Amino acid sequence: MKTQNFGLFFFLMVLGQMALCNFANFSPFVMLSMLPAMIICVPLTVSTPLCMVLAFATGLSVDWLSEGLIGINTASLIPVALMRKPLIRFFLGEDIITRSDSFSFRKNGIGKISFVLLLSILIFLGVYVFLDGAGTRPTWFNLTRLGVSLICNYVLALIVTNILTADDRK
Amino acid sequence: MRKNNFIYHLINAVIFVILEVTALNMLGNNGELQGTWMSQGAQNIMGFFWGGSQKISDYFSLKEQNDALALENIELRLRLEALESALPEEARTTFTGSNTGNYIYTPAEIVKISNNSQHNYMIIGKGYEEGVTEGAGVVTGKGAVGIIDAVSRHHSYARSFKNHEMNISARLGKEGAVGPLSWDGITSDGAILKEIPHHVVFEKGDTVFTSGYSSIFPPDIPLGEVGESKIVNGATYEIKIRLFEDFGALRYVTVVENKSKGELKELEDRR
Repeated sequence: MKTQNFGLFFFLMVLGQMALCNFANFSPFVMLSMLPAMIICVPLTVSTPLCMVLAFATGLSVDWLSEGLIGINTASLIPVALMRKPLIRFFLGEDIITRSDSFSFRKNGIGKISFVLLLSILIFLGVYVFLDGAGTRPTWFNLTRLGVSLICNYVLALIVTNILTADDRK
Repeated sequence: MRKNNFIYHLINAVIFVILEVTALNMLGNNGELQGTWMSQGAQNIMGFFWGGSQKISDYFSLKEQNDALALENIELRLRLEALESALPEEARTTFTGSNTGNYIYTPAEIVKISNNSQHNYMIIGKGYEEGVTEGAGVVTGKGAVGIIDAVSRHHSYARSFKNHEMNISARLGKEGAVGPLSWDGITSDGAILKEIPHHVVFEKGDTVFTSGYSSIFPPDIPLGEVGESKIVNGATYEIKIRLFEDFGALRYVTVVENKSKGELKELEDRR
């Protein structure tokens, strides 16, 4: 995907996430977020520090313009940006990092990318649920919320990744 | 390359911490529940670190505490001596297990110690100005460790028990046979008790005490415990003793002076 297209889609998805935060409140057990998948799909030419700054700005924008607590998406998204390259290196191989290559379902397979997405969502949701509960909610509630949200967000992440990593040779 | 990698990871970590702390700070300021929870967490962390630093500080003040305890110990011994001498003769005998007279105790710190030769010694930080005299014993709660050989103004030279020229009169149990105890010359905590008549009954693990028959050491100081034994020349036992005192960790000692030493010496000389 060309960089300007990525930027445009990324911006549109930030707006979409704001809408999700404001209007998609189906259940206390479900928390929908496209943010971890969006950060994972940031081109590998972008360094980790820059990616963390991007995650900070994105999370803060969503927090600021939605009804949630300011700082919660930001605090949950920065660890995903920190772990982005190590996760990709582990599941997709060192080469892709060395060559700063792009990845897609067609090139790398849905299985490997799914592991990256699932772990990044797990990191995001782990921090989010932990901070949102603030030690007041029972463990069973937090674990159920984490599990249900993980499944829902994984489906959402597959769609987001498919859009943001669209192969140019398609 | 490795150095660059380290710097890169360090930069990542620093930026991560800065951004994450900023985000958490915003969250703490905006969510009342989160703010209270995080401040509680911060207090717990601070408590943990303060507790840790307190432990470190306690560790470094151990020397002062040891000095204070050594002084307190000697004060208690002196009070015990005073109380003992106030008791009627009969009661005193029962109380101490012997009536070998009075001793003066002086706490001291070891300034230098030799442990690795066959003629070991120690230099202690008390001299004749503090009342230490030649021929005084050097003891700890775990044994008799030396005899003062030379004294200067503020220091004394003591022959260590781990020295081939040194013997201590020791007793098997509190009322058993008496024989000379000397260092085995091999191990740090090994000694040999000799000249124990072969009819004497003892068992492994029995405690060996100072006999009190010398004019140097008070009686009943535990020295070590009985190990293997063998009969020498068909007449006496030679018993291996495992000493209680760890000479490697020795730091504080007590110089013990028999008040009746002069009188005893005079009596011996007259004979």
